[in-house]
Amino acid sequence: MYHGSPLLLSVLGPLTAIKIEGQPNHLLCSLVSVIADFICALLIRATGRILQTARGLNLKFLGLDTMLEDIEIMPSGDIAALVYLWNPFTIFTCVGFNTSPVENLFVVLSLYGASAGIVPLAAFGWVIASHLSLYPVVLVIPVILLLGYCPDTPPRKLFLQRDLQKTGAEGSTKNHVQHRPLTNKPTEATFFWWRVILFFMWASIWIAYVLILCAISVKEYGGLPEMFKRTYGFILTVKDLSPNIGVLWYFFAEVFDFFRNFFLIVFHVNILFMILPLAIRLNHRPCFLAFVYLAISSMLKSYPSVGDSALYLGLMALFVNELAEMQFSFFLFCGYVGVSLLSPVMHNLWIWRGTGNANFYYATAMVYACFQIILVVESVNAMLNHDRKIRKLCTTTEG
Amino acid sequence: MPGSARPMLSNDDVSEGERFMNQILRFDTMSTGMEIPEMITAHIMDLGGEVNHHKFLPQFNRFHPLHFFLGPDAGTVPENYSCSSYGINTVGIIRAPRGDGKEAIVLVTPYNSLKITRAEALSMGIAYALFSLLARVTWLSKDIVWLAGDSRHGEYTAVASWLRDYHTASFGDLKHSEICAASNLSEMKTMHNSFRHAGTMAAALVIKVTNRSTEFEKDALTIYAEASNGQMPNLDLINIVNYLAVHGQGYRVKVQKIWSLLNVWWLKSLGQLIEMLGKLAGSLNPQWNFGIPVSEYVECTATLASSLYNQALGVPTGPHGAFRDYQVDAITMEISPKFSSSLNNRQYEILLHVGRLVEGVVRSVNNLLEKFHQSFFLYLLTSPSRFVSVGVYMIAFALLVAPLPLVAASLFSDATKSNPDAEKDKYASKPASTLQPAPTFTSWKWLYAAKQVLVVHLWSAIVTLLPYFVDQIPDSSPTTKLSIWIVLSIITLLFLDSFSGSSFPSTIRSRDTEWILLKSVTVAATFIGLCLMSVINFATAEIGALLLVPMCLTAVPLRLDNKVNTLRALIRGACNVIFIFVGFPVTVFFVLKGALEGFDNMRFGDFWNWAESLWAWNSATYIYMCMVHLPCWVLCIQTLLHRF
Repeated sequence: MYHGSPLLLSVLGPLTAIKIEGQPNHLLCSLVSVIADFICALLIRATGRILQTARGLNLKFLGLDTMLEDIEIMPSGDIAALVYLWNPFTIFTCVGFNTSPVENLFVVLSLYGASAGIVPLAAFGWVIASHLSLYPVVLVIPVILLLGYCPDTPPRKLFLQRDLQKTGAEGSTKNHVQHRPLTNKPTEATFFWWRVILFFMWASIWIAYVLILCAISVKEYGGLPEMFKRTYGFILTVKDLSPNIGVLWYFFAEVFDFFRNFFLIVFHVNILFMILPLAIRLNHRPCFLAFVYLAISSMLKSYPSVGDSALYLGLMALFVNELAEMQFSFFLFCGYVGVSLLSPVMHNLWIWRGTGNANFYYATAMVYACFQIILVVESVNAMLNHDRKIRKLCTTTEG
Repeated sequence: MPGSARPMLSNDDVSEGERFMNQILRFDTMSTGMEIPEMITAHIMDLGGEVNHHKFLPQFNRFHPLHFFLGPDAGTVPENYSCSSYGINTVGIIRAPRGDGKEAIVLVTPYNSLKITRAEALSMGIAYALFSLLARVTWLSKDIVWLAGDSRHGEYTAVASWLRDYHTASFGDLKHSEICAASNLSEMKTMHNSFRHAGTMAAALVIKVTNRSTEFEKDALTIYAEASNGQMPNLDLINIVNYLAVHGQGYRVKVQKIWSLLNVWWLKSLGQLIEMLGKLAGSLNPQWNFGIPVSEYVECTATLASSLYNQALGVPTGPHGAFRDYQVDAITMEISPKFSSSLNNRQYEILLHVGRLVEGVVRSVNNLLEKFHQSFFLYLLTSPSRFVSVGVYMIAFALLVAPLPLVAASLFSDATKSNPDAEKDKYASKPASTLQPAPTFTSWKWLYAAKQVLVVHLWSAIVTLLPYFVDQIPDSSPTTKLSIWIVLSIITLLFLDSFSGSSFPSTIRSRDTEWILLKSVTVAATFIGLCLMSVINFATAEIGALLLVPMCLTAVPLRLDNKVNTLRALIRGACNVIFIFVGFPVTVFFVLKGALEGFDNMRFGDFWNWAESLWAWNSATYIYMCMVHLPCWVLCIQTLLHRF
């Protein structure tokens, strides 16, 4: 049963029917996934480049470039692209012909467009990604922040302090302090409203476009209301309870029917609850914010797949320099390896050999969710520590 | 309650069975192998049952390392077959008058169609006697399927190929046999060719009679239960058979045990110690009655060891193993009479007793509304009526592997903690920078050790697959094959090692912590591997943990021990070398084989044969050996030989 977008179906559907002699059935579809993943990796790499230049500029402005020059700076874009491509999860999604590579592609496209300042592209990626899997809707906040401000920076307060200090120094001692051109200086005041407005205009154009196309393609099958019910409704009401690596299927299989609606609201609001606090705390690092949102939604979404994990792990590698001192990295790595090996075995034990039961498999799903939580908490923690350290360095250099 | 109903198997049925058996024995020279199936067909038709013949070809041993993980496949028919090489199973079905045809109970009697023995004929007689009874009883609510399996290609093959066709509903072998039908099988009626189905199988019993006499005063019933990969049938099935056999028919029920353990002195003295402790505890508090007599203790230990061994091997102990692949509970019941000569003159008695026993079991299973209630699949047998459940044996295993994550964590934190000192020194030498140590990926340093571990695991995957190619070499003895395997493995390891280059980059090279990190990652990987295996096949993991855990935990570079040069370091180094020597899979195999069977006729190639049998039976033990045990062993050696 297909519950995805009708547009994707009209692209991929014919491919499933074509068979090459002597080859597995889904070869062409898997090829589409592979191509999508490659483009995705290229975009991640480009995003990483942008982030790295932004980082270099910011540190230079804060006067920390000389302090940090003896530190090895990893080419984060290359690493992230390689992590994404070589991640076993990515390979599994290609082998298993999952649509998540395509969804990931549009998410990354939107982030790339936003960080490169290409507003139509960002809007297009965001609209299509949300259309395909609904959850990327929350990415509107990081995308707006990315477009409004520049890509990830240390906290903006620091720039302000730096500014004040510089002007103060200039006023008092009248030294010939080298001034940077104002355009090169990211400060708090510059929030590009026009780009955000442009983004919304483009987004509404794309939405209208997608809706018209959908309306045309599902005209015979009940029109748009039916499509919304079958795609987004299917995602939101968790109708399919077949086992997956998420935590919702078991829960909704067990819950009493009259509590079902309540818990549906609880679980979905869970994602929404975290949006605002995180947006406030991490507003100076919109790309990282996007990673956190993706990780949280892949943990709490109704039908998660390992492709979602592949995406957020790839994005995490973009911040390899900032997360250099992340704790529990080894523990998390072992946990991910262990769970991803144990989970298929438990599934086999339950479904094929009949010696286990659903609890065996669900236990691994819960452990997996726990590891994802630890990953998110630790990475946010490491990022905030990194910011604190930069602030400390700033104050010491000022002193 | 099993056995509460009066057995209905009458003397008439038994005489029928005896007549049937004698009739089979009359075919002592067989030309086509079709006489017995035809005769069985005629008899079943008389009883009002349905019959079909199932033709199959032997399956060849194929290298299928991941098969245990997948479902049973449809199988491929070899190209060069001849019509005479077909085995022919005869399948009789009685439809239950009170059932809806959704469930069935299977009785299996294997016989060799080329040369039938008296014992096999007797087991067929038992099945026939039962069949004639069950054809007219009114209480039957599950269909009865009688599979007279043609064991000319092995008992297991016959049952497995029938089950495969039963469940896949593909008639692969029949397609090919149509060509044959024109030649020598033309006399078969076409109606017997259509595959007949009953419902899902609730339970299956394999009935066998042997000539081997028991040295006991009673007839004995041996229960074989281990299926592939250490899977066991539901314990309730064994309990029913045991209960009915002991209380109903007065049999002595046995399960396999390792006989050589019965006369071991240390086991006996251990038993005496436990008996003494039990008595002491009993005198202190009468409620503590855990003491058991020495003889019982030794017997239970031998049985437990055999149960553990058979499960760890992952090779089914009989044709019942094929059923477990389809989640059907099945056991093999092997009846051995008091004296080997008594098979001839006591056949009536054996027919009656075994028939009543099987009738009782069938009736118990028949009365079940669902499957067996308790999902008790995870246990080790210590005697036919006693078992060690998963809740008990898991504690031992958990205690055994619990040190691994702890040690990994402590080593890891040691390695990362010792680093900042070095960093501080580095920064202290630079007076200009009064800053805190800047990030140098200290918390990601383990990645280099992880890479090394990953390379070794990659190598182990190659080693796992190598026999597939080695096996293709024609006309070579097992010894040469094993040698080629080992040599190729070593070459690949050296190649991969040089290919992956130096494990730690020179910038963060601190030789002291390098081996600590490597050991930490090794221990963590071993822990994951053992936990994984304990879920797939507990017995293998248990035996493997006994070997791996001490090896992993004590591994310390020999040069370090050399430097310290104290008695403790010396002992540790010696222990390391011994553990490494004993831990090599080939050594383990030969030591175990020698301990069980004696060192007399042992050849180097035996290990190859053993490994071949493992993968032919799709045992996960093979994968464990190659992909968990071997890499851990190699990594421990790398730790031991670490250079500073």
